[in-house]
Amino acid sequence: MVNEDLGGDSRLLVYIPSASGVSYRRGDDVVPPLFLQSIEDSGLSTWLRESESPFAFYFVLLFHTFGLALLVGANTVVDLRILGYVPEIPLPPLKGLFRIMWLGFAINACTGVLLLIAYPTKALTNPVFYLKLAIIGFAVWVMYMIEDRVFADSRLDESTMMARGAGLAKWSICLWIGAITAGRLLAYTYKYLVYP
Amino acid sequence: MSFAHLHLLLNHFPIIGAIIALGLFLTGFVGQNEGLRRASLILFVALALLTLPTFFSGIGARAAIKDQPGISAALMDRHEGAAMLALFVMEITGALALVGLWRMQRTSGQQRWSGSIVTILIFSILTVGLMARVGNTGGDIRHPEIRTGESVNDTGLSALVHVFEPSPDRFTELMLISKWWWAFIMDLHFIGLALLIGTVGVLNLRLLGFLKRLPVAPLHGLMPWAMAGFGINVLTGLLAYIGMPGYYTFNIAFWLKILAILLVGLNLAVFYLTDVFPTVEHLGAGEDAPMSAKFLAGTTLFLWFAVITLGRYIQSYNGTIPVR
Repeated sequence: MVNEDLGGDSRLLVYIPSASGVSYRRGDDVVPPLFLQSIEDSGLSTWLRESESPFAFYFVLLFHTFGLALLVGANTVVDLRILGYVPEIPLPPLKGLFRIMWLGFAINACTGVLLLIAYPTKALTNPVFYLKLAIIGFAVWVMYMIEDRVFADSRLDESTMMARGAGLAKWSICLWIGAITAGRLLAYTYKYLVYP
Repeated sequence: MSFAHLHLLLNHFPIIGAIIALGLFLTGFVGQNEGLRRASLILFVALALLTLPTFFSGIGARAAIKDQPGISAALMDRHEGAAMLALFVMEITGALALVGLWRMQRTSGQQRWSGSIVTILIFSILTVGLMARVGNTGGDIRHPEIRTGESVNDTGLSALVHVFEPSPDRFTELMLISKWWWAFIMDLHFIGLALLIGTVGVLNLRLLGFLKRLPVAPLHGLMPWAMAGFGINVLTGLLAYIGMPGYYTFNIAFWLKILAILLVGLNLAVFYLTDVFPTVEHLGAGEDAPMSAKFLAGTTLFLWFAVITLGRYIQSYNGTIPVR
C-alpha cells in the first residue's frame, strides 16, 4: 500500500535518517576489495537482501535482537547481583544463567554471520563494525572470566564471590552498553550499503 | 473503525479516568482506606498505558479530517500541543503510581504522608487539569458552539498553560535535528530492552520451572530494574514517535506492538491482583509454581518477545495502514 499525498502536512511523511551518501572524495581512491562483491552476488546473500519474504533479512535481524536480549539481559542480572544490588537473591544459583547467555551468544554469532553475508560491504568497510566485534570479544572474555572465577568453585562463599567478580561485573556492564551502542551506530555510519 | 472513531472512543479514558482516579486517591487518603488508595494507583497505571494509543490515534484522526471544511489547523495544533504536555505528565504520574504500588507491596501496611505520596498527588492533579485542557481544545476543533471567541488565542490560566505546551512541528523538528540524536534514542531503547527482558525473563523462567535452584521470593527485587527498563523504553519510544508520527501511525506492526504492551499490562493485573501472586510470593528453591502462575509467566514472556518482534518489523511494514 502506498500512502496518499499528505498535502502540506509534512509531519505525516516518512523520515528515515541514513549515513552520508556514496561518494568518492578527492584523493579517496581506495576501492573496496572485490571479494565483497562476490559474496553479495551469491544466492544466499541476494536472497537475504532482496527477498520479499518476512523470513529473510528482518527475520535474521529479529533473532539477532532475541540473542541480544538473552545474552545481555541475563548478563546484566548477574552483574547487578555481583555488584550487590538485590542482595536477597542468592548468588550461586545464578550460575544457571550462563547457559542462557551462551545460547544468546550462539544465536548472535550465527545470525551475525548471516547478516554479514547479506551486507558484507556495508559492514566490512565500516570501522565501527570492527570496533563492535572487538568490544564483543572483550565482553565475552569478561563473561567467561566471571563464570570461571566467580562461579566455578562451588565452595566459595558469597562475599568472596562478589569480591572476585566486582571489577569484572563493572567492565561487563560497560562493554555490553558499548557493544549495543556500536551495533546501533552501524545503521548510521556506513559508507556503502552494497558494493559500489 | 477509523482513526477518528478510535480517537473519539479512547479519549474518554485519560480525561475522565484521571478525574475518577484522583477522586479515589483523595478519598482513600482522607478515609484512610488502603484499598481505595491502591485502586487509584492501579487506575493511574492503566490510564498511563491507555493514553498512549489515545495520543497515537489522534495523529490518525488529524490526517482524516484535516481537509474538511471548517477544520482549523491552528486549533488542531493547539490541541496536539496540549495533548503532548498532558501525555508526558500522565506518563510521569503512571510511573510514580507504579513505584507507589511497588512500595505498598513491600511495606504492606499503613502509609503515612511522605514525599512520594505528595508527589503523586501533585502530578495527578496536574494530569487532571491538563487533560481537561486537552479535552477542551479538542472539542473546539469540531464544536464551534463551545468556542469562546473567533481567535485561537488563549487567555488567563489557559494562556499560562499554553506557555508550556510544545509546538508539534517544533517538537518533531527537534527529534530529527541530528542522526546522532536519533541513534542515541534508539541505543537507549535497546539498552532498556535488555534490562527489561533480563529481569522479567529470569523471574518468568523461574516461575515456569527453570533455574529451580533460585528461590522465587527474592527475584521480585529485580522488578524496579524492570520498571526502569520499561520506563526508558516508553520515553525513548515516545520521542521516536513524535519524531516520525506518520511513519508509526500508519503501520500495522506498530499498533500490534502497542496492543501487545497493553496485553502485558493485563497479564500483570491478573498476576498481581488475583490469588496467583500470594501463592508464588514466598516460593523457595526447588518449589514448583502452580499452573496459573506458569500460564501467566509463559504468556508474559511470549508477549514481550512479540513486542520485540513487532518492533523489529515496524520498518518492514511501513505504510500498511491507509491514511484515509
